[in-house]
Amino acid sequence: MELALEILPQVLVDGIVLGFMYALIALGYTMVYGVLEFINFAHSEIFVLGSFVGVEILLMLQSAGQLTAWPPALVLLLVIVAGMVISGLAAMALERVAYRPLQGGPRLVALISAVGASFFLQDALRLFESLWRNTFYLSYPTLDLLDETVPLTTNLVVPVKSILVIVTALLMLAALHFFVNRTRVGTAIRAVAQDPETASLMGIPVNRVIALTFFVGGAMGGLAGVLFGLHYSLVNPYSGFAPGIKAFTAAVLGGIGNIPGAMLGGMVLGLLEAFAASYLSILTNGAFGAEYKDVFAFLVLILILIFRPSGLLGEKLREGRA
Amino acid sequence: MSCAGTTFGLIAYIAVSWSLAFFFPQSVLAFLLFEASLLLIYYLPVHPKMKFYMGASVLLVLMPVLGFVNGYYLEVAVQIGIYVALALGLNIVVGFAGLLNLGFVAFYAIGAYLWAIFGSPQANAFLPGGFFPLSPAWFFVFLLLSVAVGALAGTLLGLPVLRLRGDYLAIVTLGFAEVVRALVNNLDKPINFTNGPQGIAPIEKPPLFFRPLLEFFGIQFEPAKLYPLYFYFLVLSLVMVIILVTRRLENSRIGRAWKAIREDEIAAAAMGVPVVRTKLFGFAVGASFASAVGVLFAAKQVFINPESFTFMESIGVLAMVILGGMGSVPGAILGATGVTILNLQLLKGLSLWLNSLRQSGAVLSIPFLGSYSLSQLPAQFEPAKYERMVFGLILILMMIFRPQGVLPPREDRKL
Amino acid sequence: MSLLELRDISKRFGGLQALARVSLKLEEGMIASLIGPNGAGKTTLFNTLTGIYRPDAGEIRFQNRPLVGLKPEKITSAGISRTFQNIRLFSHMTVLENVLVGMHSRTRTSLSDILLGTRKFHAREQAAKRKAMELIELTGLTGREGEWAHRLSYGEQRRLEIARALGAGMNTSEAYSLMNLFKGLVGPYVQAILLIEHNMRVVMGISHRVHVLDYGEKIAEGHPDEVRQNPRVIEAYLGQGRWSENAHG
Repeated sequence: MELALEILPQVLVDGIVLGFMYALIALGYTMVYGVLEFINFAHSEIFVLGSFVGVEILLMLQSAGQLTAWPPALVLLLVIVAGMVISGLAAMALERVAYRPLQGGPRLVALISAVGASFFLQDALRLFESLWRNTFYLSYPTLDLLDETVPLTTNLVVPVKSILVIVTALLMLAALHFFVNRTRVGTAIRAVAQDPETASLMGIPVNRVIALTFFVGGAMGGLAGVLFGLHYSLVNPYSGFAPGIKAFTAAVLGGIGNIPGAMLGGMVLGLLEAFAASYLSILTNGAFGAEYKDVFAFLVLILILIFRPSGLLGEKLREGRA
Repeated sequence: MSCAGTTFGLIAYIAVSWSLAFFFPQSVLAFLLFEASLLLIYYLPVHPKMKFYMGASVLLVLMPVLGFVNGYYLEVAVQIGIYVALALGLNIVVGFAGLLNLGFVAFYAIGAYLWAIFGSPQANAFLPGGFFPLSPAWFFVFLLLSVAVGALAGTLLGLPVLRLRGDYLAIVTLGFAEVVRALVNNLDKPINFTNGPQGIAPIEKPPLFFRPLLEFFGIQFEPAKLYPLYFYFLVLSLVMVIILVTRRLENSRIGRAWKAIREDEIAAAAMGVPVVRTKLFGFAVGASFASAVGVLFAAKQVFINPESFTFMESIGVLAMVILGGMGSVPGAILGATGVTILNLQLLKGLSLWLNSLRQSGAVLSIPFLGSYSLSQLPAQFEPAKYERMVFGLILILMMIFRPQGVLPPREDRKL
Repeated sequence: MSLLELRDISKRFGGLQALARVSLKLEEGMIASLIGPNGAGKTTLFNTLTGIYRPDAGEIRFQNRPLVGLKPEKITSAGISRTFQNIRLFSHMTVLENVLVGMHSRTRTSLSDILLGTRKFHAREQAAKRKAMELIELTGLTGREGEWAHRLSYGEQRRLEIARALGAGMNTSEAYSLMNLFKGLVGPYVQAILLIEHNMRVVMGISHRVHVLDYGEKIAEGHPDEVRQNPRVIEAYLGQGRWSENAHG
């Protein structure tokens, strides 16, 4: 029992870090579902793309000898902004090429295309990196600052990289909240989510708003990708799949289409997963350990969809289809 | 009606392509041409009796002989057969009933592990008595058993999941498959059911029960030569049974009920179709096909591990059904054949070709860009590994340009 | 005792009271029409009757059997079939298949018969196909049975819907035009018909009784001539200008 209590603070921190990352990725899923009622299955690759953008920039700086020369804050800022922008643009391109031609048709057709896009992008990343660097398992170069730790209590040391994740995510979530609720563009997005026909009658360019939604969602995913890379160091083209499914679960958990719901769902799922990873083996006397933590998210998804499909905070989908 | 010219032309084609494949066993193209003869037999206007005889001779005589000469062809044929069976199973779920199952491979895994566990020493790890592996004759029992187990698994998955809307259904089936894979990967402790990532081996193969008969006729073959042929005929038989069952179901009220549900669930319900039960039955049938062929797969491979049952495999089978045409039996067969050949032969061929380029030391001169020594091609670039890209492209392009597939189900002009 | 009786049916969707204590009786041999401006609740009432919606309150009795809470397929096998206002045919299935689906609950072939291809199976299939062909002839779709439903013209699709609904309920007969079809159907082939119709000529021409809904409530009932002169009905249609384009007279 003491062991359980002892590791609790660390588990909480892990859970919060994980939770923020899931929340950021979940936003991409939920925003797109809100305006199109469509699961952007390839969002997990947009997320991983962010990781790759980050690692490429860092590696290029490193080989130019500049990695230690520049102030870390600048490096981080560059990497984050680049990751967000490129992921956002990639998401927009994805929508234009693979989804827009299918709009108006049966929904499953678009979903199948999304699954295809997801697979294609995984191997496209692999192809690029194989040709460019002759390897597709990449590792983030270390930034010493990130590995320093801040002791919070006697038991608890928090690495700076965790603090980075938490702070950046909080800032971005606040910015997104402001954007969606207080700006004209954000309101346009909410209008299209609620009723695209009326929004279009009001003069809102629906297709452009959809493209913008993909950009913002993609940027959030890209940010999560960079943070993921900075925090866990290792990236490969296939490492988006599991976080992607989990983040989608988080979005459904919070209520699909519901932006605060995605944030809540991400946090809940992150904490649940951290707890499962650490405590499951203790609880089951070693029978089932941390290796089941991925399965955990799927079980949560299945249970949510069976018992409370509208999620914790309720779905936000289009109103009455007449 | 049949034209004598067409018939003769077809026979000539079969003879020529077979000879090419026979005398040039290294030629992928010759083999492909020969396989294409089946497609031609199906589609050209030839008397049905002739079609039957031609098809039978290709499948039952010509192909095995070819395989005897070049064992690799037999291996490809068996692979194709397995995927045809899987595609037909998924075709029922996705094509007839319109339920997007993204985790179909889970049922395949269940069947494979079912035989793997009991047809190898694995079961001794949790069942006392040292009774395992069961004698090879049990293979056939397990083949039948897997149908029931698969149907049960399909029903269990379907029960909570079938009232979800289409896209959620898809994700949950994906989750289910991942759960099955995680279980298979990790159930080596506390009790060793599946031996985890190390997989299970050696798995019993079915008995050569006809060997005494062959020996009676003075035909002596080593098991090593006999087994590939044996598996070929086993797969062929299983595929024939599956096709028969599918056709029968399709042309009955169950098949119509599935299609009605796919087209408009509410109208179907208003017509008296018991929607939930019908969907469950579709899931169960599809799952049972996959499980049965899983047993075959385990026996053929002698060794299985969780790596054969990934999400990519599920999507591969989906790509086959979509490429061929959802809801169409010839479509599923064509799709499975096409995608398997694409992966097994074309991609691999590309890999080998690239490797030979690397080793040749040749140099590519591109105007204005200078020269590029082909030995510099990154070693990591292996076309054979890019199956996901192939599947992904197939899915996207088919959805945008031809969602009904290459051989969609046709209207019945001649009713 | 009436053949079909709806008593005080109420249904609410969120803030909208779609049906408020609607009562209606359908006697054997009767053709009744349900009319009312757009949004009055006619389709909702139909959906409730056929089990797609569950009423918040009220009773439905068919041949004195309670129907509330039953699944749609149970209601169909109890003897009630419906068509849809928007054409809800099975587009990628042939005309023949569409009608055969309607007969789903009537063709009782077991799984083993299907799988083994027994003589019983073939006999039943043939019988079903024959009945379906008769219905197709009845509705004037002969020759189109092998085509996919979405290729039919609007009028033909409407007729296919009728054929399908008939297959869900009934036996067969010879050919009539649409209006006479109904008249001819009642008695020998169906026990009664409840009809939502905007074309007033049809309503006045064949209904024995007309029920009028407005804003979820029943505001009038009676013989067609009574109803068309009822001031409340006139106001409901003309007063707010919600008269549907198809209405005449």
